Formats: sequence, C-alpha cells, structure tokens
Amino acid sequence: MRPYITRWWPHVLFALAAFGTPLLLSGNRYFAFIAGITLISVLWSTGMNLLYGYTGLMPMMFGGIAGVSAYATIGLVAIGWSFWPAMLVGSLGASLIGVILGLPSLRLRGFYFTLCSLVIQTVITLGFVYFVNLTNGDTGISQIPLPEIPGGGRLSGLSYDLVLAALAVFGVILLTLIVNAPFGRRLIAIREDDGLAETLGINVTRQKLFAFFIGSMFASIGGALYAPYLGFISPRSFDVLVSLNIWLMVAFGGRGTIWGPAIGAVLLAPIPFLLQDYYTIKDVVYGLLIIGVIVLLPAGIAGGVRRAPRPAQAATLKPERAR
Amino acid sequence: MSLLDAKGVSMRFGGVTALRDVDVRQEANETLGMIGPNGSGKTTFVNAMTGHLKTAQGKILFDGVPILGRRPFAIASAGLTRTYQAVRVFGQLTGHENIAAALVDATRPLDPTGVAETIAWLNLDGRLGAPAGGLTLFEQRKLELLMRLVQRPKLLMLDEPVGGLSSHEVRAMIALLAELKARCTVFLIEHTMKVIRELADRVVVLLAGEKIADGPPRDILADKRVVENYLGSHDA
Repeated sequence: MRPYITRWWPHVLFALAAFGTPLLLSGNRYFAFIAGITLISVLWSTGMNLLYGYTGLMPMMFGGIAGVSAYATIGLVAIGWSFWPAMLVGSLGASLIGVILGLPSLRLRGFYFTLCSLVIQTVITLGFVYFVNLTNGDTGISQIPLPEIPGGGRLSGLSYDLVLAALAVFGVILLTLIVNAPFGRRLIAIREDDGLAETLGINVTRQKLFAFFIGSMFASIGGALYAPYLGFISPRSFDVLVSLNIWLMVAFGGRGTIWGPAIGAVLLAPIPFLLQDYYTIKDVVYGLLIIGVIVLLPAGIAGGVRRAPRPAQAATLKPERAR
Repeated sequence: MSLLDAKGVSMRFGGVTALRDVDVRQEANETLGMIGPNGSGKTTFVNAMTGHLKTAQGKILFDGVPILGRRPFAIASAGLTRTYQAVRVFGQLTGHENIAAALVDATRPLDPTGVAETIAWLNLDGRLGAPAGGLTLFEQRKLELLMRLVQRPKLLMLDEPVGGLSSHEVRAMIALLAELKARCTVFLIEHTMKVIRELADRVVVLLAGEKIADGPPRDILADKRVVENYLGSHDA
C-alpha cells in the first residue's frame, strides 16, 4: 500500500529542459544567465518545499543559510582552497548551522516558528553586515572567480549552467525519492499533526532535524554556487526578501507537490530580470501575480489542479471495491 | 508481572493537583475501565502513562520496563498507545495514507493480510481512498482504532471511544470494543456507565485526582462513595 505513485517521465522532461535551455540560449549570455539563476531558484524552492511543503515549517532564514554557505565557501577559496572542496565544507557547515537554527521548531509551531525564523534571518543579515573582516560588510565581495576545473582552467559560462542544471535535476529527484520513502511519510505525518505523529511512534524531534539538515543542504549548495555565478555577493544577496521570494515560489507553484515549487521558480525567478526595463511596474506585476494565485489557486498552481477538488470528493464519496 | 504497574502517580499543574498518588495495575488481557466526573484526572492519567506529561511523578512500569520520563514515540514503540478524547486522524490524508503513517515506525507492524482483515472487521472497506476528514465521526473513530491495531500494541488506552456518537453508533462501537478485547489489552476511560458495565473486567474510579475505588463493575456500582460522589450526580 504505497500511498504515492511515482512517475519518472516528468523528471526526464525537466532534465531535457534544464540541460537544453542553457544550450539553446548559449548565444545570448544574458538569457543564459537568467536560465542559470532560475535553475538555482529551482534548487532553492525544492529545498524550501521539503521544509514548508512537506514538514509544515516555514523557515524564513532559508536565504540566510544560503548566505552562510556562500560566505564560507568564498572565504575558503580566498585562503587558497580549491572551489569544490570549499563548497562541500561550506555547505556542510551551513547545513549544520541550519539544523541548530531549526531547533526552535521543536517548540514552536506554525506561525510562531515563522516569526522566530524571521528574527534569526535578521540576525544573520546583521552578522553579514557587521563581521566586516569576513564578509567585507555592506560593500560586499566582488570579482569572485569562476570555479576551477580539475586538470586546469576554469568553468565556462555554459558548463557552469550545465552544472546548475545537473544540481536542479538532482534536487528534484532527491525530493521525489524522499517523498516516496518512509522519511517522506514521517514528514507528511508531522506536517499534518506532529502530536499524533509522535503518538504513532514517529521520533518527531529527529525527523524535523533531519528535514532541516537536508533542506539547509539545498539552501547551502545553491548559495555556494550562486556566489561565483554572479561574481558578487553582499548581505543583500541573502536577506529576508530572498527567503520570502523562495517561499513565494513554493506557495505560488504549490506547496507539498514535487513540481509546483519548480514551476513557481521557473515562472517567478526570471521576472525581475525580464522586467528590468519596466522598473516601475515590476513590483506591480509581481504583486498582481501573487494576489491572483492566492485568490484563484490558494493551494498554488500545481495544488489547484490536484488538491482543490478533494473536499468535494469527500462529501460525495462513492464506495470503492477492494483495493 | 502486571502489564501496567503505575505506583504513586502524581501530577500538579501549578497549584492544582490533577493526580495524587494514584496506583493502577493492569494485567495482560484484562479490560480496565476508568471512570470519574469531569476534571477528575482521567485524561491526565492517560497523558502521564503515554509520556505526554514531562513533570509527572511516581513510578510506571510497562511490561516490566520503567517508562516515566520517556518520550511518547518511545512509549508507543514499546507497545503502549492511546487514542484521544477528540477524534484525531490526519484529515487531509486519505485513509490509506493514515494507515501508512501508522505503519512507518511501528515496531511490530501487522502484515498486509492482517491489515486487510482488520479493515474488513471495522467495516472500513472502500472508505479509505478519500481524505479521512470527510469520513463520519464514527468512521474516524474506527480509523483511529485501525491505526493503532496495525501497530499490534500490547496495551491500547481509549479515551472516551464513544464520545459524540449517536445511540445507534454507540451500540455498534460497544460491539466492536467487545471484539477488540480479543485483539489487544484495552484500557478504557468512559463517562457512559453502559459501556463500562458491558466491557470492563475491573473499574478504577477517580475523584479530584485520587483513586477512591478499584474493583469489578458490580461492586463499584454498589459502592456508596462512588454512588454519592459520581453516579448520583448528573455526570454519570
């Protein structure tokens, strides 16, 4: 009695799109860059989805964790490390910090945890501003070199895009595997009612901290790759608005679905870039989109299709034959 | 060795003593009922047994192992599980997903044949494909039972299992609970004397956090203190 059905063809389609888009856009570096940022956003929204969509926690310090990883990675590169081991150490370290910052979720539920995480995010941002010798403060760190490749040379723009595509695809596959594994069932049970989950024998504390580790891993790897991709980071790159944006992609696309948050990222991440020439109406378009989705599709784009009919179904339940 | 052996269980909420030195023993395969007026500490007692109250005092042995101070999931894994006074299922998840959630960390899970048999026994065939929140209260109560039974608990504590049911459903539930006794050991909190009389082998009476009587239902119903303090009142 597996409760969820896994189909892998959407993953194949997504992989084709993720790898194909940078290749198709390789003639135009600007559009390829937007595609790359979108792929990082897919990775981030997928990680946020694990926490917000499947575990029921809304971590507003998600961007901050990405920032810790970015600064740690760049800091290690600055003292002579090669990028890839630096990214590994930086991401792992930031994920462990994410677990520690997730500890309040053991006591606080729903909105109260969100408020707490908002404060944590603010403190992280202040930390980025004030520890000038580590982060260069508000000035930020610029001219971050592209990652080197084993055997000499540095990653080209296109190959960097393909690395981002690989990670976005891997992220979505990992989420799918998690959701279909016992771990995913435990998280969903915790999201629905953590007291009942505990009574059913689920170690809620341990599962929440696991979820924070893996969710923070998504944030951290995205953060570490974001820094050289843009070549510039500052406390602004990982502030509360970034967390909010990632959350929005999840809510907009459909929390608690595999593809909703990825769709949300694909639709929302490019908007600031595409509307750069219409600076004045950019935020208006953004706001209208949000209002539209909240009013018309409260469970998000993917959720609207899949989840909305459920209550009606329950009311006119037809007895079904043996399983 | 008793299945459950609670000695001197006390619980204070600030200035209120919810339980005072309560001793309760329950043997395997014995159905123990617990009655008492509102606020007498029945649910508090179950909460203390199942690890929901961190500050409870006393000594609790379950299957010979001390469980006081252990977390609810660990006590559930040891085979002591409970239901809630207000029905509690994962309303947004389908019945099958509810069962899957109950099985995921079960230490002695029922095999698929057993699960199917239990579903049929509870007459929930064909009702588990849709979100559990859409089921009737009676069906949700039965789903609650099902989610415990697939874990094959050693002791199942039921907190007012007929609460909110219609008189017709109460009769059906009593019939189910009578059969349930063959499946696992049952501890039963009840307000309704009818349920206690028909199901319990032995009854413990709580009054203002203290145990005032302990014995077979027939003796309890004749006990002067119980009649004066509880049965004579409008509560019973």
